[in-house]
Amino acid sequence: MELTIENLGRRYGNQWALRQLSLRCGPGMLGLVGPNGAGKTTLMRMLVTLLEPTEGTIRWDGQDTRAHGEALREALGYLPQEFGIYREFTGRQFLRYLAAMKGLPKDLAKRRVDEVLELVNLERVADRKLTTYSGGAKQRLGIAQALLNDPELLIVDEPTAGLDPAERVRFRTLLASLTTNRIVMLSTHIIGDVEAVASRLVILQEGRMLADTTPEAILASTAGKVWSVTTDQATAMQLQATYQVSAMIHQPNGVLLRLISPGRPHEAATVVEPSLEDAYLLATGKQEVSA
Amino acid sequence: MTTLAPVMPKRQMQRTQRARPLLAVMAWEARRLRASRASWISALVAFCLFLFAIWIARAPIQMGFGNAAGSFSASVAGTSAWGLIVIFPSFLLFPLAIVLPFISADGVGRDLKRRAHELLMTTALPTWAYVWGRYLVVLLLSLGLAVALLAAILAMGLLIHLTEPDYPAPQIGAVVAIWAMMTLPTVILLSGLSFALGTLLPQRANLVKIGMIVFWFLCAVALPVLPTGGQQLPSWYLTWEPTNTGMAATLGNHYAQAYQPSFSVGASSSDPFAGLAQVEQRMPDLWPWLAPHLFWSGLGLALVAVAAIAFKRFRHVPNQS
Repeated sequence: MELTIENLGRRYGNQWALRQLSLRCGPGMLGLVGPNGAGKTTLMRMLVTLLEPTEGTIRWDGQDTRAHGEALREALGYLPQEFGIYREFTGRQFLRYLAAMKGLPKDLAKRRVDEVLELVNLERVADRKLTTYSGGAKQRLGIAQALLNDPELLIVDEPTAGLDPAERVRFRTLLASLTTNRIVMLSTHIIGDVEAVASRLVILQEGRMLADTTPEAILASTAGKVWSVTTDQATAMQLQATYQVSAMIHQPNGVLLRLISPGRPHEAATVVEPSLEDAYLLATGKQEVSA
Repeated sequence: MTTLAPVMPKRQMQRTQRARPLLAVMAWEARRLRASRASWISALVAFCLFLFAIWIARAPIQMGFGNAAGSFSASVAGTSAWGLIVIFPSFLLFPLAIVLPFISADGVGRDLKRRAHELLMTTALPTWAYVWGRYLVVLLLSLGLAVALLAAILAMGLLIHLTEPDYPAPQIGAVVAIWAMMTLPTVILLSGLSFALGTLLPQRANLVKIGMIVFWFLCAVALPVLPTGGQQLPSWYLTWEPTNTGMAATLGNHYAQAYQPSFSVGASSSDPFAGLAQVEQRMPDLWPWLAPHLFWSGLGLALVAVAAIAFKRFRHVPNQS
């Protein structure tokens, strides 16, 4: 089970949405992060054979997906950022429909649908029309359909967008539980989602890969570069203009700032433990400065 | 920690996936349509419209004659063989031709508009099974409408016969033969053409529908009434045009020649229109149109085959939910 990406690129007109991306993925969870427009969705859509690469290759178990897309699709579970439903169906019918499209025999599909409904906690509403589903329930239905064929490659694009905090945590836990013996690729711009579950982190920006690392490594590289200081409003504004700020909280005794800087930004600043969000800001901020 | 039980060994799964994908697509598309209340309401509305159209056209040709013995009038029954030949292209087929592109053009494009396309195209479902499965359901639906039209002809013909003693009962054999020759090729051609264009140009599905209707209107309604400077339409056109207008014109002339009312003044006591009932129910000779109709049906299916081959799984999805 291996997904190999070599020099992958996609151009829209004269604009490259993604360029020269190379990755090799084995079982485990890979978190794909980057700001909006970084090329995450373009990459995902090329991986799931919905978009043709302009250059480069994607190989699944050694086979080029351009020529052997069906081999990848047989092993694939995909949750797109947005997906449509058939309003005529109930949740259970919708899953059985997709199970049939994935080629599951009738008896197995029936059993499998029951399993995934239980897994995503939708059994109670499974026989209701899809038009009555909330955003969270619809999203859980999305992950349920992606798991129907027990995929070796699970690709989820911004899965927690629109979920409330409790649903988001539940969803992350569910994803984390699925990483055994499969490749899970999670694309998001919510760093907290990746921090909680991914063992590998790929950062994209403006269509290029900034980093292919682990959360631990990027945190280690950020250590000593995150500072906390409480100051007055005017100084806070000055610091904000000069340094990257990851948090700004107005308090009775002043403004608490969390700053990212290689050196001490203020005499009263103290080093604090970096979060993955700080590390991400440092990585993407450097790029912005150099650009 | 939640875990998923393995589905089945991969090789076994792959064999299963290729077992009956076409039937799976058809069965589920049919189930989806069946679950929709709109499908049933549309079918009922179409049936009622067909009934109404046949009732309106119950006497498409009217004849009158007066002499010393009195005045005589007669009309060709709309559901007789002659009457059907006359009313089919404009009264019955044209409404069907308006409906069919709306049923067919979105067979695949609907998924793209609803954004269900991404879920389907990332499954192992073969492209040919997806496209042909959707088309065959569209075709079955269209044929269902055609059958509703046949039922409406027979039902309304019988109803008028029961309420108006002079109106002849529809002859099932002739009605079915004319219906089959005129409707079935039209259904296969229009559904195939609309489906193929809608599949290859899903973002322009509305344009496809309008284009199909305009094309049919021009061929079936506008062209036959255009001034031709005294020239008749060429015989090849009357045989090969797909809307059946040429067939109706040719066979209508045959009926008119076969039936010559006796307008002699001396025959004052007899009805000059006697014998009309016999002629109007006569089975027309449909054989000359068999080959052209088979050609158009084949073209409809060939276009679907082209769409199945040219269909792209890679597609930009419009930004709508």
